[in-house]
Amino acid sequence: MKRTVVPMGPQHPVLPEPIVLDLVLEDEKVVDAIPTIGYIHRGLEMMVERVEFTEFGYVVERICGICSFMHGMGYAVAMEKIMAVEVPERASWLRLIWAEMSRIHSHLLWLGLGADAFGFENLFMHCWRTREEVLDIFEKTTGGRIIFSVNRIGGVRRDISDSELVAIVEKLQQLGAGFAETARIFETDPSIRHRLGGVGILTREDAHAVDAVGPMARASGIPLDTRLTGTYLYDHLDFEPVLETAGDCLARVVVRVREISQSIDLIRQAVQRMPKGEGAPIETKVRGLPTGETFERLEQPRGEVIYYIKANGTKYLERFRARTPTFANIPAMIKLVKGCDLADVPNIIMTIDPCISCTER
Amino acid sequence: MDRKAFLGRVGEYQKDGWRLAIINATSILPTEAMEHGAFDVSWSFAKDGAFEHLREQILPGEEVPSISGLFGAAFLYENEMRELFGVNVTGIALDLKGQLYKTATIVPFAPSAIRARLEAMGKKA
Amino acid sequence: MSHVSLFKRSPWILHYDGSSCNGCDIEVLACLTPLYDVERLGVVNTGNPKHADILLVTGSVNERNIEIIQNLHRQMPDPKVVVAVGACACSGGIFARAYNIQGGIDHVIPVDVYVPGCAARPESIIDGVVQGIAALELKHKRSA
Repeated sequence: MKRTVVPMGPQHPVLPEPIVLDLVLEDEKVVDAIPTIGYIHRGLEMMVERVEFTEFGYVVERICGICSFMHGMGYAVAMEKIMAVEVPERASWLRLIWAEMSRIHSHLLWLGLGADAFGFENLFMHCWRTREEVLDIFEKTTGGRIIFSVNRIGGVRRDISDSELVAIVEKLQQLGAGFAETARIFETDPSIRHRLGGVGILTREDAHAVDAVGPMARASGIPLDTRLTGTYLYDHLDFEPVLETAGDCLARVVVRVREISQSIDLIRQAVQRMPKGEGAPIETKVRGLPTGETFERLEQPRGEVIYYIKANGTKYLERFRARTPTFANIPAMIKLVKGCDLADVPNIIMTIDPCISCTER
Repeated sequence: MDRKAFLGRVGEYQKDGWRLAIINATSILPTEAMEHGAFDVSWSFAKDGAFEHLREQILPGEEVPSISGLFGAAFLYENEMRELFGVNVTGIALDLKGQLYKTATIVPFAPSAIRARLEAMGKKA
Repeated sequence: MSHVSLFKRSPWILHYDGSSCNGCDIEVLACLTPLYDVERLGVVNTGNPKHADILLVTGSVNERNIEIIQNLHRQMPDPKVVVAVGACACSGGIFARAYNIQGGIDHVIPVDVYVPGCAARPESIIDGVVQGIAALELKHKRSA
């Protein structure tokens, strides 16, 4: 049969960010997809040559404006490992709380974009309205809506008072209760089921074969979550990863919907478990220059992120590398697109929750 | 590098159900002993909580076999490593032929390119 | 025929993400959603350059997106206005000296309004768009 190549992107109505897929079609079926990235490649890993390690955190936070906090946190934790810095416990708990709030805001953001992609503008607006409440908490506690620079090697810059923490939990629980109706629509609405159910199925075996991470793997039944490894105080909390087994677009939506309530609960537990006492130290003074290397893993909203840092005893790091979750999920996306209908391509791309600026750095 | 032994070990990871977590290259700047520098390449695998690495020192131009036949996701790392570092990876399942990033600087992380940038900034390489 | 106030109430916007970190992009989107809701001012986000009056660019220019930005700008009907949103679009920002970044948007196309911030706040983006509308009116008067 005659083959047609349809280039999708870089500027396309459903794509919030530029990426190109050359879709090879036989009639309406996609038989091959070749990715081209590089539209957002800045080359920020090279900036270690110019920016001192104490200030490089600001660059790392700008790998991506959505997971900004978690990028900053990963960099700080990795540097603390290299420099053998003991971080005050309160700082680690505050990081966990902000990190889970980042997950809530990121999932709400994505659910909105996803809803827009499958034709539910109304749901898009509801999700983003809810998301603003999380941003308000960020702004109140850190001063920023999107990029906070609240992490620093050795701890965090700002404390949250005990009463404020209780108020945050209350506010998030109200948010969760208000979101329940939206969540119900995502999970049960017949047109959403029709549009997403059975579309873009990634089986458990395939998910493993293409090394998928995050909600992508969890929607295919693989209990893969870096939080399970017990780092970052998660071993003090009750935590079971949210799993779905269908592996289709709908399952990926449902996993993220449920992770929102899970994150709210994790924050509630954290506030309960963390030792009371504002005024406790939240930062350790860091002296000297770093020497050594480390790999650091943590669970971002989109899945596992890995940092590699090599320091050589000078003010400038020798190498900084970030392998972001979308980078790991692109092979899965390509696998899914092959064999689907052209009209399903936007939904499949959206449900991997692509973050292109993370991917290209 | 010992190609056969390397592929054998990667094959074992694959058989035992590990997942490819990251392939990373780090440039080693030229020294008197290594005129053109080298690359420190690591292949990292994860399974449950475990995280292990294979590491090799690769000279510029030295052939590195692709592992994309064993781990589906490897092609992206390998294309990137070839474009940004100039590591000579051969046999990649989906070869993007230098079209992945299309950077303004050709091979920005090649040891010679890094040294040139550092010297231009007046830092000793 | 006079076109007074042709744009005043309903400028259409085309958003392109240069090499932004997403921070400014999601703030641009936040402007469209209920809390800020620029649609109440008649601002509509379009994906088609031929429908657009204002080109809103986030992020800076790199080797690969020069052509894309020029193409989008060329396809927009005259008069048109370019709003550069965020530090990167204005000057390259924190990434100005990274190897793949060439600089701000004004490297490639003329910019009418610069919106500062990293990330730019929705309030300042809306302000930038409103200033863009004024620039659009002015250009229209001059060409009439």
